[in-house]
Amino acid sequence: MHRVAVKYCGSCNPQVDLSRLGAELAGMATELGAAIVPLEQGDIDLVVILCGCPRACGNKSEVKARARRFVLVAGHCLDGKPVSEEKLVLSLRQHCLTFIDAAKDT
Amino acid sequence: MKTGNQYRESLRKLNPQVYLMGEKIASVVDHPAFVPHINAAALTYDMAWAPEFEALLTTKSHLTGEKINRYTHIHQSHDDLIAKVKMLRALGQQVGSCFQRCVGHDGMNAVYSVTYDIDQKKGTQYHKRFLDFLKRVQKDDLMISGAMTDPKGDRSLSPSKQKDPDSYVHVIEKRKDGIVVNGAKAHITGGINSHGHLVMPTIGMKAEDADYAVCFYVPVDAPGVIHVFGRQTNDDRKCSCTMDQGNPEYGIVGGEALVVLEKVFVPWEHVFMCGEYEFAGDLVERFATAHRQNYGGCKTGVSDALVGATLLLAESQGSEKAAHVREKLVEMVHLGETLYACSIACSCQGYAMPAGNFMADPLLANVTKLNVTRNVYEISRLAHDIAGGVLATTPSEADLRSPCVGKYVSKYLKGVDTVPAETRIKLVRLLEGMTCGTALVEALHGAGSPQAQRIMIGRQANLERKKRLAQKLAKIGDQPKLVC
Repeated sequence: MHRVAVKYCGSCNPQVDLSRLGAELAGMATELGAAIVPLEQGDIDLVVILCGCPRACGNKSEVKARARRFVLVAGHCLDGKPVSEEKLVLSLRQHCLTFIDAAKDT
Repeated sequence: MKTGNQYRESLRKLNPQVYLMGEKIASVVDHPAFVPHINAAALTYDMAWAPEFEALLTTKSHLTGEKINRYTHIHQSHDDLIAKVKMLRALGQQVGSCFQRCVGHDGMNAVYSVTYDIDQKKGTQYHKRFLDFLKRVQKDDLMISGAMTDPKGDRSLSPSKQKDPDSYVHVIEKRKDGIVVNGAKAHITGGINSHGHLVMPTIGMKAEDADYAVCFYVPVDAPGVIHVFGRQTNDDRKCSCTMDQGNPEYGIVGGEALVVLEKVFVPWEHVFMCGEYEFAGDLVERFATAHRQNYGGCKTGVSDALVGATLLLAESQGSEKAAHVREKLVEMVHLGETLYACSIACSCQGYAMPAGNFMADPLLANVTKLNVTRNVYEISRLAHDIAGGVLATTPSEADLRSPCVGKYVSKYLKGVDTVPAETRIKLVRLLEGMTCGTALVEALHGAGSPQAQRIMIGRQANLERKKRLAQKLAKIGDQPKLVC
């Protein structure tokens, strides 16, 4: 079971609904063959950094250092590529699946 | 860290003397007049446990390395100053009102640096005492009120010249084990639902005012501490209805009290200044800087919700597409974000004090608050403009529910067909609570009145340098050479 952590920016004034994204991620975890665990637990395969805007306050080196891979949502942007909020959940799912599949192959 | 319910339970264990409408209150936590304010303060605890807000509401103590609520933290960097502002915006959005815990937080940051300075100059032990106190605040996640404003009596006279010596809090006796104080502190936000009060002087002082240069912590239920809760606009609604409150969960304003100190004993371990009058002004200015820094965070967060309420109301009335309505909404956002920009700017321009803690830039913090005193009124005026006269005339919740006239209220208070009258009424009441009355006065006078900000801006303006800049451009007098 892949260990996935979720780290939020702080949600001061998010442009996208971070709580909904987090809930969707938790909902699809089993389907992805993953367990959502606290970042502090260590041995994390993937950290999904959920930031509400391009400032991306959660995008910190100490956060990324705690996982083998990371995915960054920064407002309407996923890993540097613009994505509308309607497509964000699906795109996030695809990204996570890609990373998890890649982890299986290594 | 506590949760919101643990905070409520911790208040239940206390026995403060609180008066409201002439009656002594048996249980602060359960009285409907206080529940919204306690809910607002409780959210500063609960949001620390929510993953979405954890990064803003929590941090690591520089004293112990433990995870703490940010409200018990002493800022250690620019990032901390910025995080505070963002935290306040997040809270303002969720609460739509004042959540009270900031005053004490800012007081602790100011006292942290001033006690260090006093010790450096005078060889006293205030800073160590304060650190011991702060460690307990962090460990027990206490809510501390910031009690600065004295009643002041005759404003033209200094504290020691007042006809009534209690116009300012002062030391009336010094003992081996502590001091005894008399006086009162006014407008104390969250006073009745805090664990204790951090009492600070309110103005700079001279040698003759030494007995008034006093700073200390006193538990909310210490003998001799008496709270008289202040009235607010429409406060009866908290005890008589729900929908007509507008924001029934969190209220319309922080909830302020007159805190009387009637021969209150304070042990030395909780005394952080006693007679060092030359430092009173520094304490006031640093507290004021820290607190004025905030308002572009909290008030912008509240404005975010207000803009949402105004737009929803316009939609319920079918007016949201009108060009002037869109323009006014944009202006409301512009004004709110201007305040946020000010708070972020003064945080980015902050710097370390000799004690090691970080403070916002005083000039920009005062600019922040002075802009708040104007912009919040203008944001409210625009909301009123869009809402229409219904803001001042809507029938009561009781009439909406009345078997006799409810059908008329439902019929004639409806705007567009798809939005029930009840929804429109809820929005009207939310807008009413957020923009009419006490909330506006708090935006004007909270953290100091506009003139106080102008005085600080005047002091920091560096007008002499500005004159030299103009002289150089107009080639008046000696021209300094630029080194190329």
